[in-house]
Amino acid sequence: MASSQHVLLSPAELAYLHASLSLTPPIRPDGRSPTQFRPLVAETGILPGTNGSARICFADGTEAIVGVKAEVERTRTRHDFPSLDDEGAEDDDDLDNQHDVVKGDNDWVEMTVEIPGYRDDDAGTVFLSAMLSEALLADGEFTKRLWINRRFHWKLYLDILLISPPLSYPLPLLSLTTHLALLATRLPRLKSEGDEDPLFDDDWAAAPYLYTRPGKKGSKKTVAAPTARPPVTLLVMAVGNNIIFDPSKEELAVADVALAVSVGEHTGSTSSKPTEMDIDTEETKGHHNLRLLSVRTIDPPSRLTPPGIPNASNSAYGANAGAKDTEKKKQQQEQARTTESEAVEGVWKAPRGGAKTLVMAALVQKVLEKGGVADEVLDALDGVDLN
Amino acid sequence: MPLDTSAYSLALLRVDGRRWNELRRIHAQIRTQAAADGSSYLEMGHTKVMCVVNGPSEPGPRRGATSGGGGGGGQSKNAEVAVNIVIAGFSSVDRKRRGRGDKHILELQSTISQALAASLHTHLFPHSTINISLHVLSQDGSLLAALINAATLACVDAGIPMTDYVAACTAGSTSTYAANDEGADPLLDMNHQEEQELPGLTVATLGDSDRVAVLVCESRVQVSRLEGMLAVGVDGCKQVREILDRVVREKGIKMIQEGTVERGVGLNDMELD
Repeated sequence: MASSQHVLLSPAELAYLHASLSLTPPIRPDGRSPTQFRPLVAETGILPGTNGSARICFADGTEAIVGVKAEVERTRTRHDFPSLDDEGAEDDDDLDNQHDVVKGDNDWVEMTVEIPGYRDDDAGTVFLSAMLSEALLADGEFTKRLWINRRFHWKLYLDILLISPPLSYPLPLLSLTTHLALLATRLPRLKSEGDEDPLFDDDWAAAPYLYTRPGKKGSKKTVAAPTARPPVTLLVMAVGNNIIFDPSKEELAVADVALAVSVGEHTGSTSSKPTEMDIDTEETKGHHNLRLLSVRTIDPPSRLTPPGIPNASNSAYGANAGAKDTEKKKQQQEQARTTESEAVEGVWKAPRGGAKTLVMAALVQKVLEKGGVADEVLDALDGVDLN
Repeated sequence: MPLDTSAYSLALLRVDGRRWNELRRIHAQIRTQAAADGSSYLEMGHTKVMCVVNGPSEPGPRRGATSGGGGGGGQSKNAEVAVNIVIAGFSSVDRKRRGRGDKHILELQSTISQALAASLHTHLFPHSTINISLHVLSQDGSLLAALINAATLACVDAGIPMTDYVAACTAGSTSTYAANDEGADPLLDMNHQEEQELPGLTVATLGDSDRVAVLVCESRVQVSRLEGMLAVGVDGCKQVREILDRVVREKGIKMIQEGTVERGVGLNDMELD
């Protein structure tokens, strides 16, 4: 969707933008430094009718609201997940052993993205929600928080609304808003024990947060979870040798590579639970123990911006009109092909071919760096008051 | 039975403690969003809606299910008013997701579109579209009225010339039974519980006049009750109009004081404090 929206820039302007972004240090149209985010306004707890909600406004005017709603749902009986519905037959020892097995299922989270003017089954919208939920479910730990007992679980509905028209690729905005909404999400305190039908405390003030934070102790049920907070998905792009964070629409139009990198955080001992996919940075040195959850390439619009064509090969300018005999025509075409493949100063040429592995590695490295952008973003989000 | 009608006749108080002719708290803001041409946020009780207006602009490629009930298409002499409503899944008590093709939403869209197209001076903007997108964040009755009010405010903020405010309100009647005819009171501004229980209608009027721009009644109601309900509704619309007007004026004064806009001619007599 939004990655391929139209940018009304001429090939010459695109070339200029590309050139200024490839300088060292890059010069961005809005004067930001390469790792600087757009300023934003954030608030949480705006909708009392939800379990958690958040709103973020970026400085360019794009605005998103996320509401989280939870419902109790009966866990489906599965062969590897014996239900208690057929009680009596099972012996007590067996029950006690299984009691502490906390399991999660990806079906327990449902995420929808609404972008005004786009259908909800639009490929771009579906891709966005897939990317966001993928990051959330990547380590399989999030759904464990929704476990109530062996017969019931919470079903979490995340509704993501983009209020403004999509002026820039909304992924970072939606991801940050979702992050805050999940941080602000509270579930009623469980009063019943074991596998009884769940009974909850009426007192909303006693409701624990879904993600318990170090400052606040409210959760009785401590689930062993390595991520202390929901993931954040950042948009990173590379132009030439420069790595640029949080690109605007115009900048994204000239990107060589654009990546959506989802980052989570470790807490406590990570050595006990090694997962295959994490690329750990050195622990305990920085503020956050970051870990990579997922990486997606985003098709940058530069693949869709038409390249500038020299007049010689442009049929609208009578490129082939003068060439009568086929010999001459052939020669001209040959010429046109060389001019097309060569880089000409000041003429936009869409990058061809895939991203280089080294560039990808550098992008991911840059995100996970100690004291890097992801660290900064998480710090900034810590500053938002959750009520 | 959420609304105990016998209790109403005892104290003449409704479930939320209002009298028959009282509105809920209306809180509104305009210019809430920098990127749009016009925007507004409106609360009527616990019903909360946001509106974003873009345009009048050249009609882009048509995407999604926008309902262009009012005005003509992109090639006509009048601007098209395209309304798009998103009802958030978290807006009601139980999460209920509505698809875009939902008939109820389509009807709301075309009602709002036609009402605004009649009030906006669409003939000034030929071959163009006014995109109104409405987001429902929380629902507690009087949804259509809240949407119309929010859309009016956003259109005012966008600076689209219009005849007057289209202010909307709901009205209902306390009794559903014909036998209890004398005791039935009309009610102003229904909440969700009352809407479930009692007959009601949504009415929108143009400015201060008694001219009805929208009248939607989706429930069975005796003809004898209709007149009383309508009278109460129209009266409520005038109150709503006053509130909307105050919001616009306050914002306007604030913008002049902050220097965002220049003081126009003829504004000198306006009190700026």
